[in-house]
Amino acid sequence: MINNMKEAARSLQNDFVQKRKKDGGKVVGYSCTFIPEEILHAAGLLPFRLRGIGTTSMSIGDSYFGAVNCSLPKCMLQLAGQGSYRFLDGAIITNGCDSMRRLEECWRKASEDYPGTLPEYYKYFAVPHKSVDYSVEFYKEELGGMMETLEQHFKVKISEDSLRKSIRLYNEGRTCLQKLDELRQNRDVPISGEDAMAVLIAAHAMPQEQFIVILKDLIEKLKKAPSLSDGKKRLMLMGSASDDMDFIRTIEEAGAIVVADTVCYGSRTYSVLVDEQSDPVHALSSHYLTHSICPRMLGYYKTRRAYVMDVIRKANVDGVILQNVRFCDLHGSENGIFERDLESAGIPCMRLEREYGPLSETGRISMRIDAFMERITDPVFPINKVMYQDPEVQQHLHSK
Amino acid sequence: MKQETREYNFDWMLWSSVTSGSKVMDGTRKEYQALLRLIPNFRSVIDALISQGEPGRLYMKMGAEYLDDIKTVHEKGKKLCFGTFVAAKDLFYAFDNVVPAWAELLTVYGTMMMRRGTAEYMDYCCEAGFTETSCSAQRGSVGAYLAGLTERPDFLICGAPGICDTNANAMQFMSEYLDIPLFQLTFPSNLTGKRITDYQRRDYKALIAFIEEHTGSCLDEDKLRSVLEEHKRQDEIINEIFDLSRLKPCPMPPIFNLFLYSGKLQSSGRKSFTTLLESMLDVVRENADHYTTDGRFWQWVDSQDISLLPTLIFTFFNKGINYAEGREDQTYEMNTSTMDAMIDSLADINSRMPMVKQLRGPYDATGMWRDDLFFMSKIMQPDLAVYVGSMGCRNSYGANKLIQRDAERFGLPTLLLFADAFDDRVASWEFCVDKISEFMHVRGIVS
Repeated sequence: MINNMKEAARSLQNDFVQKRKKDGGKVVGYSCTFIPEEILHAAGLLPFRLRGIGTTSMSIGDSYFGAVNCSLPKCMLQLAGQGSYRFLDGAIITNGCDSMRRLEECWRKASEDYPGTLPEYYKYFAVPHKSVDYSVEFYKEELGGMMETLEQHFKVKISEDSLRKSIRLYNEGRTCLQKLDELRQNRDVPISGEDAMAVLIAAHAMPQEQFIVILKDLIEKLKKAPSLSDGKKRLMLMGSASDDMDFIRTIEEAGAIVVADTVCYGSRTYSVLVDEQSDPVHALSSHYLTHSICPRMLGYYKTRRAYVMDVIRKANVDGVILQNVRFCDLHGSENGIFERDLESAGIPCMRLEREYGPLSETGRISMRIDAFMERITDPVFPINKVMYQDPEVQQHLHSK
Repeated sequence: MKQETREYNFDWMLWSSVTSGSKVMDGTRKEYQALLRLIPNFRSVIDALISQGEPGRLYMKMGAEYLDDIKTVHEKGKKLCFGTFVAAKDLFYAFDNVVPAWAELLTVYGTMMMRRGTAEYMDYCCEAGFTETSCSAQRGSVGAYLAGLTERPDFLICGAPGICDTNANAMQFMSEYLDIPLFQLTFPSNLTGKRITDYQRRDYKALIAFIEEHTGSCLDEDKLRSVLEEHKRQDEIINEIFDLSRLKPCPMPPIFNLFLYSGKLQSSGRKSFTTLLESMLDVVRENADHYTTDGRFWQWVDSQDISLLPTLIFTFFNKGINYAEGREDQTYEMNTSTMDAMIDSLADINSRMPMVKQLRGPYDATGMWRDDLFFMSKIMQPDLAVYVGSMGCRNSYGANKLIQRDAERFGLPTLLLFADAFDDRVASWEFCVDKISEFMHVRGIVS
């Protein structure tokens, strides 16, 4: 079962996508977690999270983006320009961050030079940067506009009933993922971080109905599976978007097991369920704008820190890898604050700047991780670890 | 950071240099020449400014007033608001007990007058946890604040979320690092329409409530009206200067661009800026008949017979400005009839500030970067365009190749200069000059 997930995570046009296309279904790509998949699903479309995996060249990405832009949207553009996203019937690009927002124009302009590479339905979707009543209202109106264009373009009707069903379905998926997290948080961890990442990526690359069936089955099997964590340090991955399972494997090959993460493509999207009782569009607006832990929502660091501390406590984390893709200032700088606060709470941290895409820096990254592993196996750190579990330290942290 | 850099506070050093500089012309010419020998780092800048005559002297006085307010803020029992430059200044000057300090402006002052620019403060930010790839425009001054080498801000205002991540991120970092309350103004991707106006009005009201909470004072309607009326007068003068700037050769000395945008960003609504503008207008009117001038970058530009017409950094879209002709819906109008009307005016001013207007949505959407470049080009008929950003400017770097291609198709030779306006360690001044010169020769703009 996990192999299906891995296949979905390792390739763009995976079997599920191919089958959906063969059956006459439509696939719509989206660039970030602020697009409610429920809406696409309710429209009868397959939501597909855009990625940049498998790029072997940056010739197209570099031609349109500037030298100081993040390599994730560049890789996405590279794939788009070379036709790897031709299977998409639509794409929605958000202003998730400044580099990602420019993917909208770069892809549109690149399609003038590479005809046929722009999906017929193509939309820029602006997401507010704060969670207050009027921004939720604004976001709700934007969603309303997006739903209208989807209905017109794909000649479908997004009814309240279908939205409610989709919300229930995706909540079920979230609940399953929370159960997977619980297994990863146990003392005996039955799944590697690499495999867990495959599951998390697959959640946004295949039909949710099938995903839930496979995941439920996997969870049952994992309950009886042997521990993979014996004698290993328990790490948490934070920072920029990461959907590279090889990166996780590189970490785990150093004698660690990744038991939690907060990265985009990872565990960012399911800690809270969408309200199933109220107006569905309002519920989605409120959920997506309020419960995100992405640093593009500026001014909510303390909320994110509380969330991170909670995960660290539950997963009994030994150390945190704070990584950022080069030129990702949102995560890069917030990692600096996290490093200060987590270290002061006795949680060892390692900051790592890297490139998105093919793991071209394996040697350097391995060396850094080895050094970090050496550090957290040092006898001094168990003492610090006890410190952060101390109620007084906790109180100090929360009062800051 | 070197011990000598820690010896004096950053804001004190800026105040000291600018205040002294503003007095150099109070004596005789001979005394002025003698004084220049004593300020080796700041000499060329002072000389470039003072050589402009009355406007240069008034510019220095305006800067001295601004920096004196910052230096003495707590001594006078006032609150220091620190933020990014994209906030309408009028609101802050309408409070008697608030002094605003803007990161980018302080970086510019430091860059102009300090021996090593603000490099050490920039690097200090990285030591504190910033990414080294973040924008130099904020790092240049924020580093000093993080190091405790300034008056401590009482609250922070950020006007960049939705416009510039690195800018907004700098304020969030500072807020968490120093534990100072932060308010962020956010901007939808569109500029016009009722939804946008409503959103911005509510955001602005929330900002006012935030300032009132942290200052313990209420916004005074009469004071705000008087500040906005002053701003209105300033806009009228700017409109006239811009109209005259369409003449060839351009009668506005290039360095006046610096006076205009730093005045607008720093002292909008204050009498000192009006006085400077009146003086500048006199010079431009006179130059309309006969014109010469000089200044390092500005001097070089002028020596090449280039009239500098910044588009992104100096467009404010006040009603009546020539580059907004035919696009009146994109301008702001100063309505001082009621408190609500004034708040709407402030929100409109803010959402049309440089960068805020052009970079909020897709670069080629109506009223955004490309539109503004093309409209400005039609009016001013430039011979070339040069892009210079900071290395942290993801937003403009994400679209500058696209806009270059469009501009070239439009018939405007366009150079993307890989340099940093605030950090000459990225590219030296000589490099920039060489690149621009080479471009002008290769493209046949000069022979």
